[in-house]
Amino acid sequence: MKLRIEAFLSSTGTKVVIALTGLALYAFLFVHLAGNMMFFAGQDKFNAYSHYLISNPLIYPVEIGLALIFVLHLVRAVGNFHKNQRARPVPYHAQVPVRHTSRKSVASTTMIYTGVLILVFVGIHLFHFKFGPELHVNDAAGQPTDVKDLHGLMVTQFSNPLMVLFYVVSMLVVGTHLWHGSWSALQSLGAGNVASTPRLVSTARIVTLVLMAGFVLVPILIFAFYRGAGGTP
Amino acid sequence: MNLKLLVWRQKGPQAPGRMVEYPAPDVSPDMSFLEMLDVVNEGLIRKGEDPIAFDSDCREGICGMCSLVVNGVPHGPDRAATVCQLHMRRFHDGETIVVEPWRAAAFPVVKDLIVDRSAFDRIVAAGGYNTVKAGGAPDGNSILIPKDQAEQAMDAAQCIGCGACVAACKNASAALFVSAKVQHLASVPQGQPERYRRVRAMIAQLDREGFGSCSNEGECEAVCPKQIPIANIAAMNRDYVRAMMPGPLALALGGITEAFEDD
Repeated sequence: MKLRIEAFLSSTGTKVVIALTGLALYAFLFVHLAGNMMFFAGQDKFNAYSHYLISNPLIYPVEIGLALIFVLHLVRAVGNFHKNQRARPVPYHAQVPVRHTSRKSVASTTMIYTGVLILVFVGIHLFHFKFGPELHVNDAAGQPTDVKDLHGLMVTQFSNPLMVLFYVVSMLVVGTHLWHGSWSALQSLGAGNVASTPRLVSTARIVTLVLMAGFVLVPILIFAFYRGAGGTP
Repeated sequence: MNLKLLVWRQKGPQAPGRMVEYPAPDVSPDMSFLEMLDVVNEGLIRKGEDPIAFDSDCREGICGMCSLVVNGVPHGPDRAATVCQLHMRRFHDGETIVVEPWRAAAFPVVKDLIVDRSAFDRIVAAGGYNTVKAGGAPDGNSILIPKDQAEQAMDAAQCIGCGACVAACKNASAALFVSAKVQHLASVPQGQPERYRRVRAMIAQLDREGFGSCSNEGECEAVCPKQIPIANIAAMNRDYVRAMMPGPLALALGGITEAFEDD
């Protein structure tokens, strides 16, 4: 069967693209969290892991691919949002949520806004840990080496309570987006039926809660147990 | 009961509309909502005013003609019921009731509370049928259909095409309507030969009509007088992926979504 371009441009096709890219980003978050958890393996191991990651030549295609997925998700979602707005030019005088079996929530009605906030957060986050100030691991003679002291950077950053607050609030925004996004992506791709959809929804939400709990715990634990240790707890 | 109505009045498709307040005195709690509107209209006619135009036909919840958004909910506060089955006992004395038409670019207002829903007809005409020579009625049980499939088809076929799903959706999406029409044929053997051509053609027409896309919130399912579940939309998406995506992608996605199947 040949690829039909309308497959990705129609209303359903657009949702398929948003769902596929969304799930890819969701999967990336698990890898990211696993990396975060390496922090607690100790300074040397964590720095060695991060050095191995960023010195690997494969990192560039992976980063570019991830950025493209992110941009595709964003562009298609914004375009879709505008098209949906045009579908109801005259608003209701009074519209109230129907409740009953509906899964309309704060999360589902604010996807475009939490999405924009996530874009801003990702920019700030990359500045904090990727393109921002760098710390380097010193060698035996006390001279800085090529190896970045990411462990020390995280301790420095998360010793600031405002920084911890910023990350916790940001994770609440991400979590809100994923509360609806996780199961909605599965439905858009065609998963579920009358019997299994409710289980699909609760499973997606539980997995999202676990994921977000992991991300929230990292800055809080660093603030609680490593604060002010200057990178050498 | 004495009520106040806040009703959308619009002289024609191009005319600007506005909310107008009307008193509705001496309303019996046993009246249906449409009977109440009839009484209000009789009063307007006696005063020489233009009566409020609204759609209705069977007034027993099976034709899908009535289409009012009552206090912000399509078909009003009762579940699994059309607005013709809504009774005034659901309201309290002195209440102001807001009555609006379905709001969607694809459902232009004809007059007041009447909207043009022929977009639905064009979607069905695009593929919501079987291209067969009808001939005489077939013998009973000449095509055996498993009970669960027959039930699934009948559940989807309950859709009366009223358009409440579009009215309730924040995107004015017609995904639930189209999925019901797609699924009712995709669930039985007679619908198989044109199954993938059908889903493709109907979704293409859906987009031409200017409906929004599905956000999977489920407001449509909650207002649907026939309680058609949004799992039908997942099934439609599944067929669309199989119809449209290149082999490997369709196979992969088909396999993944199949894993979430129960039956």
